[in-house]
Amino acid sequence: MDVLPLALSLLYQFMTGAAFFFLAAVGLVIILGMMNIINLAHGELMMIGAYTATITYHAGVPFWLSVILSFFVVAAFGAVLELLIVRRFYGRELGALVVTWGVSLVLGQGTLLFFGPFMPSIKIPGGSFSYGVFSYSAYWLILVLISLLLVLGLWWLYNRTPYGLQAKATMQNAEMAKSLGVRTSRIYTLTFSLGAGLAGLSGALMAPTLTIAPFMGQQFIVPAFITVVVGGTANVIAGAVASSAFLAAVKTPIGMAFGAFSGTVALLLAALIIIRIMPDGISASLQKFFNRRAGRTAQ
Amino acid sequence: MRTIVDLISGGADIGRTRVFWIGFGVIVLLFLLYPTQASAFRVSNVSFYLLNIPLGLGMALLWGYCGVLSFGHVAYFGIAGYIYGIIAGNMSENTLGPLAGVAGGLLASAIVAGIFGYFVFYARVQKWIIPILTLVLTLLLETFLGQTAGYQWRIGSVLLGGYNGMTGIPWFRLGGFVFEGYSFFYLCVVVVLACYFGLRMLVNSNFGQVIVAIREDELRTELLGYDIRARQWVVFVISAMLAGLSGLLYVQWGNYITPSQVGLLQAVLPVIWTAVGGTTSLLAVVISAFALNWVTFTLSSQGNQYAMVIIGALLVVTMLFFPRGIIVMVAEWLGRLIARRAPSSQP
Repeated sequence: MDVLPLALSLLYQFMTGAAFFFLAAVGLVIILGMMNIINLAHGELMMIGAYTATITYHAGVPFWLSVILSFFVVAAFGAVLELLIVRRFYGRELGALVVTWGVSLVLGQGTLLFFGPFMPSIKIPGGSFSYGVFSYSAYWLILVLISLLLVLGLWWLYNRTPYGLQAKATMQNAEMAKSLGVRTSRIYTLTFSLGAGLAGLSGALMAPTLTIAPFMGQQFIVPAFITVVVGGTANVIAGAVASSAFLAAVKTPIGMAFGAFSGTVALLLAALIIIRIMPDGISASLQKFFNRRAGRTAQ
Repeated sequence: MRTIVDLISGGADIGRTRVFWIGFGVIVLLFLLYPTQASAFRVSNVSFYLLNIPLGLGMALLWGYCGVLSFGHVAYFGIAGYIYGIIAGNMSENTLGPLAGVAGGLLASAIVAGIFGYFVFYARVQKWIIPILTLVLTLLLETFLGQTAGYQWRIGSVLLGGYNGMTGIPWFRLGGFVFEGYSFFYLCVVVVLACYFGLRMLVNSNFGQVIVAIREDELRTELLGYDIRARQWVVFVISAMLAGLSGLLYVQWGNYITPSQVGLLQAVLPVIWTAVGGTTSLLAVVISAFALNWVTFTLSSQGNQYAMVIIGALLVVTMLFFPRGIIVMVAEWLGRLIARRAPSSQP
């Protein structure tokens, strides 16, 4: 067997794995990092995104348009959720966890009752090609590209726009931001809505690769939450990227050698070891490292 | 030296008046008399509501008194149940088999909780990480057990059985006496009472005061010289063993267990019992665990599709409008009512 096709295939598996972790976690980390709220209904928001995409796609809307539509539908849903429920749990992180779990039960079961157990699937766009003995899905490569664009877009949003500045100010010191004229409650609603929208977008993007069912959200729980735990909250976007890459690097070889379940167990073990070494996640350690380096060059 | 009575009637749970203890005694008596009045089927159902109470009590201790939330306590429930099935199933000729199964099941839940607890408590992780990782653990356990179908997953003479579950798990027995039907009901009553009074003594002891202090302020408790990591770890292991106890009773009750017992829909139940009862009272959790098991069991045995929607909505409503728990708030209201009627009886 040639080395190059094998290396390319490993790289492809690693990149698509990392993209999967990142897409599964992106909505969650935005909400956690900015608001310190863990949204346990995250998987169900992704499910709603997938449902929106599926329903609009089969109603004749082009696939990419239905993906974008899913973002806005779930973002609107997230805004309603924030105004009605999540708003009352700021500063009570355990309470927020429990109440969003209740929401997730209602959404999952409600979808089952309303739409039934099955939905028609979406055909994977793009087809596939092969190199050597390995075949590649064009769609997953597009998802890798979209993940990178999302990272850039979020970086731009939080570092180059008035909303990003106000959101960061609210996160650091809500009282101070408020007294300087930032409408913090609107920032919270917008941030939760953005996180929900991103969850919906990810759900819609992954819809062609999955079975569309009321409890499809559950399969994202393990990857999304492990990504968040490993990444930490010091710098959520950098943390999510680093931890997606790390987890994909753990899962790809172990999953290939010992099967998918062993790969997932390795994820939990890796997460336990990471939090034992770096209790605040990779992003806190990265930040410390760069701060130290910046301090050294400044001297 | 404090006596047992002082420990039980300390201030860490609701219900300390004479009126309360009379009512408590009457209710226990009614439970003891229940099998003389009800059919075997109903007694078996009530046994099921009772056997889940230790799991709820474990959550109340961990979340309510120690301030640590776990979403994966059903993992310890399942571990104890499966280990009991393996040990007791393999020792089916031996009368000591079920006893060895109980010991092995409790030990297994304690060991898994101990290893897991070491990583999270000694790392001093943020509060939200523990519920997330416990949830991940139980979901992985479900996935693992789900793929154990077939003869290669045979331990001794017992099949793990994949999603069909493990069947033919033996009843609990002591010597020649087999606990089934009515005697199993009494076993459940005794276990629940022992767990309740044991925990009530625990939370009123010095150890209990310290774990409440940890819940209120970790840093301050640590600065007073207590090792909070070790105490959180001990509480975590105790509550996992309580969950294991429920798991043992469950497999002895139904003689089977399936991976869905450690799945997402089961994992949320102890959290709901504790939230609806009230996190700061063991007794309230006993009552709500019993009542909610009754409700869900009745709803789901009627094939009601709305059961989980109702349970989920109940959790949301409780968290929004009764943050201290429905039973606790009702009990406080009752207490005020009685105090107004008879002001002299209150100390």
